[in-house]
Amino acid sequence: MQSKMQRVSRLKRELQLLNKEPPPGVTCWQNESNMDDLRAQIIGGSGSPYEGGIFNLEIIVPERYPFEPPKIRFLTPIYHPNIDSAGRICLDILKLPPKGAWRPALNISTVLTSIQLLMSEPNPDDPLMADISSEFKYNRAVFFSNARKWTEKHAMPQAQGLNKESQETTHKRKSAEIPEEAKKFARET
Amino acid sequence: MLRQCPTLIPQDLQGRVYDGFLSVQDKDFRLRVILPEDLQLGNAKIECSWKLKKVLQAYDQIVKQRLQHSINLESFMMELKTILEVALKNTNALQTPPAPQYYSCLVKDIESLGWDKLSFVDTELSMIQIKIEDTSGRDHLVTLKLNAKYPFEAPDCCVDFPIPFTISWTPQSSLLNVYKQVSSALESLKGFWDALDEIDQKTWVLEPEKPLRSSTMRRIVIGNNVSITIDLDPKHPTMLPECYFLGAEHVVNPLREKLNSNIHLWDPENSLLQNLKDVLEIEFPSRSSVEKSDFSMDCGICYAYRLDSAIPDQVCDDPRCGQPFHQACLYEWLRGLPSSRQSFNIIYGECPYCNKPITLKMSNKKP
Repeated sequence: MQSKMQRVSRLKRELQLLNKEPPPGVTCWQNESNMDDLRAQIIGGSGSPYEGGIFNLEIIVPERYPFEPPKIRFLTPIYHPNIDSAGRICLDILKLPPKGAWRPALNISTVLTSIQLLMSEPNPDDPLMADISSEFKYNRAVFFSNARKWTEKHAMPQAQGLNKESQETTHKRKSAEIPEEAKKFARET
Repeated sequence: MLRQCPTLIPQDLQGRVYDGFLSVQDKDFRLRVILPEDLQLGNAKIECSWKLKKVLQAYDQIVKQRLQHSINLESFMMELKTILEVALKNTNALQTPPAPQYYSCLVKDIESLGWDKLSFVDTELSMIQIKIEDTSGRDHLVTLKLNAKYPFEAPDCCVDFPIPFTISWTPQSSLLNVYKQVSSALESLKGFWDALDEIDQKTWVLEPEKPLRSSTMRRIVIGNNVSITIDLDPKHPTMLPECYFLGAEHVVNPLREKLNSNIHLWDPENSLLQNLKDVLEIEFPSRSSVEKSDFSMDCGICYAYRLDSAIPDQVCDDPRCGQPFHQACLYEWLRGLPSSRQSFNIIYGECPYCNKPITLKMSNKKP
């Protein structure tokens, strides 16, 4: 009974924080009206093959949270040594001790930040996907291009659609503005 | 020894004193090694010429450590050679200071620019910062690293601009030219900064927390857990920036559709903020005035102060941590861990915040 109260008070506070001060490149919200079913998005870090992609995640908050870690999986397919085809993530803080490193000092915000970090820095020594992991270890260029392909295919379709349209309009505008631009340029040189 | 440092000659029969030269990169450095009576290398004294001393200045600790760990003088000399090679690569200590004309010319240039424009000068007079205010009243700092051959070679110019910026320089140029070139660049970026300043003042920007003048990106709150990220082209600040939305599909999709269908409303005559409002048909909320709450008193596990009328009365004893917990919360966490141990009504475990040992005395109240 009491652990339920702890869970409610804590989740309320966490959702408030996630709304007001989300970690960089991360957003998280309540799915429907269930406090134990959350959704999150992580933006692929620049310099990583996931750059520009928006990755959706599902967060299930267990009955015994925060005494048990949240259950998190990727909904968007991602090509990564520590994330399997069902979106399950191999990360120590997502498991209870003694096997894992979850502690109530962590929260959804810090866990999402850790996942973001794992995306940029895979851990090939604790792989979930053996093939991808050995590719990451021994053939970095191939891994990068594969991960990039997946990102482009799965994590940025809408962005692409939007950009195409907006780029067209920008181009139109740009060409309309050229006379003024040219004048300015002439003045400068 | 002879092979490594053929020019380092023993000076006495016991082999306690060596004198000579160490050759690195075609340069010879004079040094003298004096070993103590017990011939322990760790207590040896190394006397260096002033040149060698200057090069090794920053490597003092490393040299001492190598001296402690080397098994004999020969291996130490090898280590010293390596350190010296690195030191020579990293330092220009051997370069002579700039000619007097450098200073006279620089001071003259600063005078013609006006000393009031300087915001910083380093002690060697090799780096200066100039403060320039643009026509919108924003202050900008220009950092100039001056070459010893100034004014015949261009200074390195560092500015906080969203576009690449290089100064054009001739031997006749002076700081005044730099000032003018930066000012005109500032003027060309005025529209870009005006647009982003309005965004920063009138909306709730989540990222970057403290935007630099060079940052073109802003993540702006639209509503609960919904935000838009824009990336503005500094050369075309009145154009539609690159945008993407973050948040739940059912909120984000309508916004995306608005953006696509209202794109014709985008008017380069209007400000960026006004355009975003018009196209998305929304008002941007201002930063929520709720002050950051102080968590220091709340329980580190349930994040609340009152839990079923109990207050957090268990505190981690480590002064650097001091995290409070409710008895019930801490008990619930510790009892499930294999690393915890219970003896009568005391539980010994680790603080979930700092991992230091923590003990929990269970009072007779309900657990």
